Amino acid sequence: MSTYILRRLGQAIPQLFIISIILFMLMQAFGDPVATLGARTPPKPEDKERLRRMLGLDQPPAMQYLTWLVGNDWQKLDMDGDGIPETNGSRKGILRGDWGNSLVTRRPVMEMIGERLPNTLILMVTAEIIIIGLSLIIGLYSALRPYSFFDNLITGLSFVGFSMPVFWLALSLMYLFAVNFRRWGLPYLPTVGMFDPAVGKTPWELIKHMVLPVSTLAIISIAGYSRFVRSSVLEVLSQDYVRTARSKGVASRFVVWKHALPNAALPFITLIGLDIPFLLAGAVVTERIFAWPGMGRLFIDHTERADFPMLMGILMLISIAVVIFQIITDVVYSLVDPRIRLN
Amino acid sequence: MSRKLYILLSLLVAVSMLLAACGAPAAEEPAAATEDASGSTGGDAPAEPTFSGTATITFVQEPDSLNPLYTSMFFSGITRDFWLKGMWSFDNNNEPVLEIAAEVPSADNGSLSADGTTIVYKLRNDVFWSDGEPVTADDFVFTYDMIMSDANVVQSRYPYEDYVTSVTATDPQTVTVTFSEPFAAWLTTVFTYVLPKHVLQPVFDAEGTLDNAEWNKAPTVGVGPFVFSEWESGSHLIFTANPTWVNPPSLEQVFIRIVPDDAAQEAAIVAGDTDIGVFLSSDQIPTLEADGTVDVVAVSSGYDEGWFMNVNPETAHPAMLDVNVRKAIALATDRFTIINDLLDASINPVNATFWDGTAPYGGNVEPYPYDPEQAKALLDAAGWVDSNGDGTRDKDGVELVLRYITNTRELRKNVQAVVQQQWSLVGIGAQLENYSSDVFWNGYNDGGPQAQGIYDIAEYSSVGSFPDPEASANFLCSEISGADNPDGANWQGICDEELDALLNEQAVTLDVNKRIELYHQIGQLMFDKVYYIGIWLDPDLWSINSRLQNVTLSGATPFWNAHEWTVAP
Repeated sequence: MSTYILRRLGQAIPQLFIISIILFMLMQAFGDPVATLGARTPPKPEDKERLRRMLGLDQPPAMQYLTWLVGNDWQKLDMDGDGIPETNGSRKGILRGDWGNSLVTRRPVMEMIGERLPNTLILMVTAEIIIIGLSLIIGLYSALRPYSFFDNLITGLSFVGFSMPVFWLALSLMYLFAVNFRRWGLPYLPTVGMFDPAVGKTPWELIKHMVLPVSTLAIISIAGYSRFVRSSVLEVLSQDYVRTARSKGVASRFVVWKHALPNAALPFITLIGLDIPFLLAGAVVTERIFAWPGMGRLFIDHTERADFPMLMGILMLISIAVVIFQIITDVVYSLVDPRIRLN
Repeated sequence: MSRKLYILLSLLVAVSMLLAACGAPAAEEPAAATEDASGSTGGDAPAEPTFSGTATITFVQEPDSLNPLYTSMFFSGITRDFWLKGMWSFDNNNEPVLEIAAEVPSADNGSLSADGTTIVYKLRNDVFWSDGEPVTADDFVFTYDMIMSDANVVQSRYPYEDYVTSVTATDPQTVTVTFSEPFAAWLTTVFTYVLPKHVLQPVFDAEGTLDNAEWNKAPTVGVGPFVFSEWESGSHLIFTANPTWVNPPSLEQVFIRIVPDDAAQEAAIVAGDTDIGVFLSSDQIPTLEADGTVDVVAVSSGYDEGWFMNVNPETAHPAMLDVNVRKAIALATDRFTIINDLLDASINPVNATFWDGTAPYGGNVEPYPYDPEQAKALLDAAGWVDSNGDGTRDKDGVELVLRYITNTRELRKNVQAVVQQQWSLVGIGAQLENYSSDVFWNGYNDGGPQAQGIYDIAEYSSVGSFPDPEASANFLCSEISGADNPDGANWQGICDEELDALLNEQAVTLDVNKRIELYHQIGQLMFDKVYYIGIWLDPDLWSINSRLQNVTLSGATPFWNAHEWTVAP
């Protein structure tokens, strides 16, 4: 297995290299980062020209990519605009662990990602656990009682949940549980953020502020996942070996837990394996509405500003995570299903 | 394995919760008068001030940086009202309120030279950095040096690069600034902030630049009623009371929460989770004020929505070169109905000049009325008639179809659609185009549609150096952008000798009353020649919860009186 893992990791290197070139080319279409640096007050033309020169944005895209990849500490730069390079470059490039600085904040990309990642993980991992747990329970229950009242009810609710736009659901939950409950004198939840400044950062504050964003993420995903689990389990339950087990008098609970569920879990593991890397990316809409300071907002905020070092950092991080979790998923396959041999 | 995976995920959650929760408590102890501070403010200091309460403010955008060298962003600038004062702030009447300066320089007090090229700033001797060090003239010289240093990738060198020739410390309490020519906009553009030399000089000496200074994100030493305490990226900023400030605040802390979604900000305001909200729209007012606990106030920061007419003979539609056609465009547009339908006419009345939001420079010019019949008559007289019966006027084989551009803001798109309909009634066609903001504002060399003149009418909201009216470069003949002058700021191609003379004269006129009169003439001239058509005054809308008291917002430095804010018990 270790040979397999090493081989896959070796294959990942050229993959990531090609991904980085494609992403960098796409970045060129994002617009001019200097044009939006002043936000409401666009920079003056002479400042724009100077900033482009000093930030290296006047260089051809290929040169900018090279700087991003291997740095520029091996060359001199023209910082004073006299046409003569005089200042040593300071970038080391991603291959030497320097992910660059944000053009907007001028701060190291990895430092900013590091600040947001824990917030995203706490939100997304909590939501994912709830999604997986409830999807399994609901999907399994529906599959064991197909076409019952409960199954039909869940089917109906799933369609409602699945078809709801995230922003609408998020704002509806916010207005109901945070605004109107407060008006009606009922116990209420906070609207935005991670804690109440009057109380401070306590675990209980964090939990209170997580309820609405986690619910938003969970409601929509459970709707889809539970249908997936239901169909997988139903398919397995109709297999010959399940019928054989039942005909031999094996207890129903044993049939479900020992025969049906492990086999039905394989496609679900694939789904989760694909999901996990994207937990790092956060949830753009949910984070924006609930003012949750996660990776999704970091990405969208810096997309609007065409901040390519930051975007490259986030996208490459996700690319690396996708590669790694694909390998992990394959390994988990072999552990769950003895029919699969990695060799 | 699935059990192990579950355990792993659970651990991940637990670790994440710990990471998120283990930071310093937000409601930190107030920055109680430290030994440093109390010792440095002299022995006659009044009784130690007490602080109570938290003001919560929502920002819809997060500041780029807190170091003013590296940002010109509105939301970064307004935080400085709390923690980094300049020579003076501006009150709700846009009058200067002394902060670090002991007086506003003038000819009367001898601080403004007769030729207008030397200004002497006298500093108060009772203003200290929050760590107890005195604020001196050396700090201002250092600030100037850092702005002009090629080692720092600063956001803007305006106006120092173009106008200032030297900044010297005559003595610890006196800063002398010399200009290459009289510079009328000095009051609002020079030393609006100061950097702590004793903190940043060692960083610059060690690293050769301030670009990566820790102070840029965590400026723990400042000069204002509050002191920086915490900035969690994407989440919040906290400023705590500064007992060393000359006017210590009443509040214990100011908590700024970043809420990027407009609807979520509205919910937070209605729910009482925030005391001050900003960048609101007039259609939100009924909802926000419904409970009677929130007031929405309009504060002008000089922005007016308007049409900037391309009159460059090389790029504009030939009809745009005729002043009567431009006048017909104004008369054919029912801006009064537009603001009634899309905005609130009591907040956003139609403006006539570029400076209507910058009192008292706007004058008393009345906007063109809606008069389609007069518009038709003017177009007929100018020779633009519908000769081919296609519903659009034409002349010499050229159809009167104007390229009407703006950015992608939804409100502006709606205005475009209504205007297109209104113009069709008088036979003017409209080709509507929308650009993302970065492209819309691009310069000539980057294919900016305005800079390259690929338009006839451009709509946006703009301002000068509020509360100063200075925006001359946008309208000067010498600033017309083109291949030979790609950095030119005049994207309309205006080249008017009379206008040039007036703009050049105001730029060096230090007498305020005379300058106001000059601006009234400029506004009238631009109105008569229809270089600019006002659409609506565009003040900032702020919400203030009634629990936060004594809040008086200003357009230039909104939180200028934050030291007076109190929270209702």
